[in-house]
Amino acid sequence: MVSHAITSSRHVKNSARLKPFPYLGGGFFVLGLSLSNTEGSVESDNAPTPWNVAREAKDATQAKKTPLASGQVQGAFVGRRGRVFWMALRFGVYTLLTVGMYRFWMKTRLRRWYWSSVRIGGIPLEYVGDPLEKVLGFLIAVVFLAFYIGVVNLLLMFASFSLFQGEYPAYILSFAGVIPFWFYARYRARRYVLARTRWRGVRFGLAPGAWGYVGRALALWIVTILSAGMLWPLKTFWLEKYVTDRTWFGTVRMEQGGRWTMLFRPFLNVVFPGVGLAGLMIWVGYSERFKGGEMAAGAVLAVWSLIGLVHYQVQAKRLLANAKRAANMGLVAEPRTRTVFRIYVVGYGIAGIVSSVALVPIALAGLIVFEASGGSMGAVQEILAGMPVWAAPVVGGLSYFAMFLMWSALRQAFVTMPLWRLYADTLSVIGADAMGQVQQRPRDEFAEAEGFAEALDVGAAI
Amino acid sequence: MKSITSTIVRVGRKPAQLGALGAFFDGQSAQAHAVRLSIDETRAELVIAWGNTEVRWPLAEIRAVPDQAEQGDLVLMWPGAPLERLMTDESRIAVRCPELRKPVVKVSRWRIATWANAALASVALIILVLVPRMADQLATFIPPAGEKALGDATLERVRSSLDGTGVGQLALCDAPEGRAALDKMTARLTAGYELATPLDVHVLDQKMINAFALPGGHIVLVDGLIQAAETPEALAAVIAHEVGHVVGRDATRHALRSAGSIGVLGLLFGDFAGGALVLFLTEQLIQANYSQSAESTADSFAHEMLSKAGVSPAALGDMFEGFRKRFGDNDGIVAHFVSHPSLGDRIDAAHRAIQTDMQVRPILGDTAWQALRNICR
Ligand SMILES: [Zn+2]
Repeated sequence: MVSHAITSSRHVKNSARLKPFPYLGGGFFVLGLSLSNTEGSVESDNAPTPWNVAREAKDATQAKKTPLASGQVQGAFVGRRGRVFWMALRFGVYTLLTVGMYRFWMKTRLRRWYWSSVRIGGIPLEYVGDPLEKVLGFLIAVVFLAFYIGVVNLLLMFASFSLFQGEYPAYILSFAGVIPFWFYARYRARRYVLARTRWRGVRFGLAPGAWGYVGRALALWIVTILSAGMLWPLKTFWLEKYVTDRTWFGTVRMEQGGRWTMLFRPFLNVVFPGVGLAGLMIWVGYSERFKGGEMAAGAVLAVWSLIGLVHYQVQAKRLLANAKRAANMGLVAEPRTRTVFRIYVVGYGIAGIVSSVALVPIALAGLIVFEASGGSMGAVQEILAGMPVWAAPVVGGLSYFAMFLMWSALRQAFVTMPLWRLYADTLSVIGADAMGQVQQRPRDEFAEAEGFAEALDVGAAI
Repeated sequence: MKSITSTIVRVGRKPAQLGALGAFFDGQSAQAHAVRLSIDETRAELVIAWGNTEVRWPLAEIRAVPDQAEQGDLVLMWPGAPLERLMTDESRIAVRCPELRKPVVKVSRWRIATWANAALASVALIILVLVPRMADQLATFIPPAGEKALGDATLERVRSSLDGTGVGQLALCDAPEGRAALDKMTARLTAGYELATPLDVHVLDQKMINAFALPGGHIVLVDGLIQAAETPEALAAVIAHEVGHVVGRDATRHALRSAGSIGVLGLLFGDFAGGALVLFLTEQLIQANYSQSAESTADSFAHEMLSKAGVSPAALGDMFEGFRKRFGDNDGIVAHFVSHPSLGDRIDAAHRAIQTDMQVRPILGDTAWQALRNICR
């Protein structure tokens, strides 16, 4: 027996030092105790071992949350703000110094951190994507996209100037041509990320089907636009269902339950102010009056629609999550709109204010030049012209980069991370006792990783 | 069952007989195994045991899963069985694993190198061969109105990028007397020429010594050049040379090329560095290094134009030489002209082009020349 050599006194002393052991949820402690409950050990299932005591203490601190049903495991976010701030700042500097090459490592390392921050029932997610694999995928995408962007853009530019005497038709056509690829890239990126996500040692996966996604996304977008946005929930639901129904955790397929109409209730808070704003515009256009009353109404409606959009975003996520099933497992999500809205306002506020400090040198320089010139515009130009040629670009460039770095690091720390924390903390998995039946799935090789998404700037969360 | 020696966990310097607990995931199912950890000293292996099962990882090869948010515990793996994971808060195990922080390479370097070369080759092919060839072909097909629009758009871009403050556009100089003198000079040069697009000569209020042609008959003189020109004939020579580029549609080719290349380079460097790159390329547009044949064609055109206008074509060569003496080889227009290997040849050619019986008349009177020099005042 393995535990022969372990004397009980030694064991107790050692484990007293250990922190509560959170990984395994309820089941483990029964198992853990039965392991300890071997010869030489005085512990029994009911004895107050240090492990048990510690766990109860931890439970007590969480008791204010909704009590968990049996087989329900709670999500939690363990990452700290300071760490992600410094990571994002440091990686941003590396990215800058390597002319963008480090961004693949930055993305990978931030994802590892975020994934490992999310613990469900004490067990973290793991991101196993590889930076070099992203470099490879990017290079593959470049081989294909360079042709498109170089040759097709040139032809479009030529056609646009020849036929329309302007560059905007080319931009519009070029943009329109990229839209299907954009959806394609988005699905492929999701597939890559899921294929590189593990929980409890088991891979997630997304079945192939990117072109099907492109077709549905285009059709649903057209329907949404034709309905003046009224059918937005239809689009949200069916796209989510398409992806969820192709998502696997190991050998278990997920399923999106529910109906698209369930998203309508939260959507009303977008519809009402939207209709109100349209009505106001018609009224202003008709009466040619835009005074205090109209302004106040406009401001109220604008703020309402903004809050409504956030509300829809959060509640759609919640409703969709709660209607997801995988075998007999399910999700319970309880995020609150209020919290998300607060994170947006406070987070972007902090990021905006602090990062704009990077502009202080420029403003100061401007002020000094203006003072020295005695306020006349001609003298300002004289002084500017007298500066060395490199001065303006160098000062401007440094400030730009400093601002950009600050902004992205602060956004990680005050927007992205709090949002992840909120969603992780308010998530739980039900039916988790069936977890043992989930078997591993084969590796999805996926040579191009998320190269297309990277190249087309699909804007994945991190 | 292993012998008792295999169950000793040795942590730190002293051998200690203690058990550590962990959660083990075998990578086969999502089942969490509550395991007891020990170290087999004779084989230098970590023994992970539960029930009747036992998994062994060589201590020397154990890695910590990197970038973990929770640093109070260990998430360990062994590259030999990449799906298995062990979680424990017995952090002293770390002391026994020498390679804990070494990265695991999963992607073959050879494949990366292959695709990197393929990507570079395709980008090079597109930027250096395909786009220029196509641009050259398309430039001859673009109708005059389209060319004009392309030129207008390019001029806007150039003016924005040259503006030091970064918000507005660099001013164009238009003092009436100066304008009249410039028009007079242009009219005299182009007399007897049927140009596909009418010339549009601008003066940019900047100190740079430069002049460039843009698509659609735009010729841009920078004020610095006008101040640096010793005689009106020198300036006329520059204009004639740029008209040569307009007639040869060199600028149109260039603008179309950059329309194709800017996107590709932006793609390579991402949005972080991409913005700066586009600015740099606009800069390149006015530094316009045309091919040598384009330059000598423009030069011969300028010789002819100057002779027809009754200006000594030697003005072209004299101007090159004068600028070179005063400013060296690496500044603005000097670089543009001097980048060609045979400046001496061109000066000779310029002298040879002088017909002995040619009637040389000054292109501008003193008053007009002064007015032109003050066009930005
Ligand atoms: Zn030239």
